Amino acid sequence: MMHIKPILAALKRHKAGTILIALQIALTLAIVCNAIFIIHQRLERVQRPTGMVETDLMAIHSAFVGMGDNQGGPLIKADLQALRQLPGVQDAVSLNSYPLRGGGWSTGVRTDVDAKDSKAHTTQYFGDDHVLSTMAVRLVAGRNFRSDEVVEADPRSVPDPSMVIVSKALADKLYPDGSALGKPIYIGDTKKPTTIIGIVERLGVPWNAMWSDDFYENSLILPVQLTSPYTSYLIRAKPGQLAEVMKAAPAALVKVNRLRVIPSERGVRTFAQIRDDAYKGDRGMAILMSVVCLVLLGVTAAGIVGLTSFWVGQRRKQIGVRRALGATKRDILSYFLTENLLIGVAGVAIGALLAIGMNLWLVTQFEMARLSLVYVLVGVVALLLLGQGAVLAPALRASRVSPVEATRSV
Amino acid sequence: MFAYYLQLGLRSLRKNPLLTLLMVLAIGCGVAASMTTYSVFRATSNNPIPDKSSQLYVPQIDNWGPDASKDNKGEPPNAMTYTDAINLMRDKRAKRQTALYPAAISIVPTDPSMLPFRETSYAWYADAFAMFDIPFLYGHAWTADEDESHAAVAVIGKALNDKLFNGANSVGKNVSINGRDYRIVGVADKWNPEPVFYDVINTNGFDDPIEVFIPFTRAVELQTNTNGNNNCSHDPGKGWDSWIRSECVWLGFWAELPTTSEADAYRAYLNGYAAEQQRAGRFRWAPNTRLRNVTEWLDYQKVVPQEAKVSLMVSLGFLLICLVNTVGLLLAKFMRRSSEIGVRRALGAPRKEIYLQFLIEAAAVGLAGGVVGLLLTGLGVMGVSLVFEPDVARLAKLDVSLVLLTMLVAVLTTVLAAFYPTWRAAQVQPAWQLKSN
Amino acid sequence: MLKMTHLSKVYRTEVVETYALRDFNINVNEGEFVAVTGPSGSGKTTFLTIAGLLETFTGGQYHLDGVEVSNLNDNERSRIRNEKIGFIFQAFNLIPDLNVFDNVEVPLRYRGMKAAERKERIMNSLERVGLASRAKHYPAELSGGQQQRVAIARALAGSPRLLLADEPTGNLDTQMARGVMELLEEIHREGATIVMVTHDPELAARAQRNVHIIDGQVVDLAEDPRFHHAVHAARANSPA
Repeated sequence: MMHIKPILAALKRHKAGTILIALQIALTLAIVCNAIFIIHQRLERVQRPTGMVETDLMAIHSAFVGMGDNQGGPLIKADLQALRQLPGVQDAVSLNSYPLRGGGWSTGVRTDVDAKDSKAHTTQYFGDDHVLSTMAVRLVAGRNFRSDEVVEADPRSVPDPSMVIVSKALADKLYPDGSALGKPIYIGDTKKPTTIIGIVERLGVPWNAMWSDDFYENSLILPVQLTSPYTSYLIRAKPGQLAEVMKAAPAALVKVNRLRVIPSERGVRTFAQIRDDAYKGDRGMAILMSVVCLVLLGVTAAGIVGLTSFWVGQRRKQIGVRRALGATKRDILSYFLTENLLIGVAGVAIGALLAIGMNLWLVTQFEMARLSLVYVLVGVVALLLLGQGAVLAPALRASRVSPVEATRSV
Repeated sequence: MFAYYLQLGLRSLRKNPLLTLLMVLAIGCGVAASMTTYSVFRATSNNPIPDKSSQLYVPQIDNWGPDASKDNKGEPPNAMTYTDAINLMRDKRAKRQTALYPAAISIVPTDPSMLPFRETSYAWYADAFAMFDIPFLYGHAWTADEDESHAAVAVIGKALNDKLFNGANSVGKNVSINGRDYRIVGVADKWNPEPVFYDVINTNGFDDPIEVFIPFTRAVELQTNTNGNNNCSHDPGKGWDSWIRSECVWLGFWAELPTTSEADAYRAYLNGYAAEQQRAGRFRWAPNTRLRNVTEWLDYQKVVPQEAKVSLMVSLGFLLICLVNTVGLLLAKFMRRSSEIGVRRALGAPRKEIYLQFLIEAAAVGLAGGVVGLLLTGLGVMGVSLVFEPDVARLAKLDVSLVLLTMLVAVLTTVLAAFYPTWRAAQVQPAWQLKSN
Repeated sequence: MLKMTHLSKVYRTEVVETYALRDFNINVNEGEFVAVTGPSGSGKTTFLTIAGLLETFTGGQYHLDGVEVSNLNDNERSRIRNEKIGFIFQAFNLIPDLNVFDNVEVPLRYRGMKAAERKERIMNSLERVGLASRAKHYPAELSGGQQQRVAIARALAGSPRLLLADEPTGNLDTQMARGVMELLEEIHREGATIVMVTHDPELAARAQRNVHIIDGQVVDLAEDPRFHHAVHAARANSPA
């Protein structure tokens, strides 16, 4: 570090190269910071829990052929009976949707019958008293529905149910003082109250999207068995028997009734596949960004190696002179390392500003979150280390320049 | 002279294989990253119907009022009620028009060994076939009269015709849809506009081709559900009839208006219609309507996925970094030869010639970078399926235009990057380098 | 001060071995001003690079200031160069990126001297060569004679015991050469040991003692008339 002043003086006379390396470090930092931030955000999403126990869980989509909305009831009942009797099946339920399915119902909810605007947005799951046991969500307060409380309804004519189980996030949003159990809520624009009889620890919405992130854990479970001919069966296999059930369950459904369509694509999936499909974009984005980061760091390192090699080549003579004047190998090595560090510091200083600026721009353009400064700090350290690593090879070569170079002309 | 410089350039590149390799790889990576994401961007921002994209329009009518639209920058709902769609169809103010929705139907094969299955199906009016330029393999569209009479007719797609009839002409035969027989009047040839402009709302722009078309009038009569979205501002009440009379929006609507004056007239008509509804007491607000053509509609619906935009941005940044990198490396490469330049200048080479020599050398590097970039772009396009939904990913293709563009971008950016180093090289004084080291 | 006995230096390539120095013997006493002459390729420069510890030798012994240097490692050699030896090169070898002051400072930096002391020494040696007013100039802004005087200032700044000069006036015109030579003589009068390699018999004549090298060996011209023709040849070859 003893050389800072003369190194700066020397750099002043190599402005172009210095600026180019600093600029490259700055741009790399800006992009890498934002990319790592995106990667981390995406990975956080991918790991987001649904509140269900996702092992031994699967789903089947089925649609009966040529049926009206009010004609599916008995057929679904027969299906459920067949599914629940399968040897590997622990429980099964017919739902309009389930977490991460990709499509579902959502509505506003009020706690005050006269309020004009809703207090919270939530998804609605319609199913019978087997929903909790099939999903294996944890009931933290109140009770489950009894089978005699479940009503059948055409999806176009769903009556306002008298009772509901809500997710804890929604309960806390509606009744922040924690008194939600037993309180009324008003679903949509109805005037009729629905009483909260149970609260589950956590239950995610069917969507993985920016717009649904605001209410990701707001869910209602309503004791209504829809009679529409299309439905989703959520099936919990007995531990370790998922593979068998994956084969047996669709076969059993076809056996019960042939006049149905189970889509060939995404019609029968384990929940692991459902999660994979739902987060495909997020995971892909994370992979893409990681690849971009790695290649980018590689390119930047290569650029530093290239330019420093050139500098070393250009300065062989003066390195020789320095050696003749008594510089040790270590002095030469530290000269180039220090030089790179100085350029690097300038680069990361500009880069940190660029990174923050770029993030602010992305925030306005793509509704992204604000960049945490931790990423910038990590990026700064990483790039400085990268620079030192990249400069090591040419600097070592420089340190091996013989002092005899000083006496050679050209 | 060009050949001479190219030869000099190639020799100089061979002399410095490591530096050359670094440059070629840097350019290759940058170009490949940009091109890969560009291929997705291009696919998603494609004009699906170039001949008619400025003649086909989506009308929107605000039937929910300012309370609902205030959350959406004052925009009317992006789909239509049954009431408005039927009124617009009845008035027939456009050259052609259709209401449409994705019908939730299943096909029941006559072969008892085959299970029922689903295909992408739409219910719409006869006009739609001509409006959307749908080609026919056999037969033709159904008629306006058949719309009127709710006829049990259908047009099927080529893939479904292959599946059910082994590709034979099936016109006149029956197909069982939702358990009822429909007479096939036509078989549509492959028609797969991308993005799926006709129903952006339900597909986000990407879906399988339509295999079943049935008359809208018949689908509604049989209370065939929509496979798409249904949005209600208020509880529609119970049952099908109250639903289709409600203010729930669930229908797409297209009007063909060949000239701008016809489009203007249609705008005036929409406002007049909304004013009429206001007078009738249905709307308690001033007319709020929109009329967007295909391009404007796709833009408004943000069909280009956010992932594509973000990664395009990142890739452009990437290209910029590779450019800066190339400037540095070329600078190193060129300045290392300043003694050569000095001698050349001393031997009478004018600046212009130095410029030419080094720019040609840079172009050679760019060309090599382009070849590497092309290989990597090929890999990248394959890897796109990791990042994007398969519907989108399969659109990203390495075609001739992308190959040419890759090469062009590689050479152009490298030559662009070479300007500063070349300028520096040309500044070398004649023979100055001979005098001292 | 400097004593080489039976010293040899061999350059090996894949095909040939070339002796640059063979059974080379020389003894320079403290305070001497020795001029080393000889035709091109005779081994003058090799002698100087070995004397200055810029290169290692193949055989024999070399005592510098009483120390046998052949077993020293790279760091020890660097320290000796830095503390005991001052170099003056034909091509000046100033670092173009640094100004005059920073150039003179280079060897002092490697000695880890305090800034105040460095500054004092730099200004003293610049004053000595008459260039204190040019401290902020860059080498390219100076004439050849001035550059060489900066190089001498750099060599003097560390108060070396031994000054090694390689054709110090080779790149200068007569007038400037004379100035530089006078400076060297003055430095010698003040007590420094100087070994100067030169082509120029006129310069060589101004030294206390001349050593002639031919084919990598020291030849005593005065005592060996067989080599008189070589002196003439060397004179004829010397640059104008």
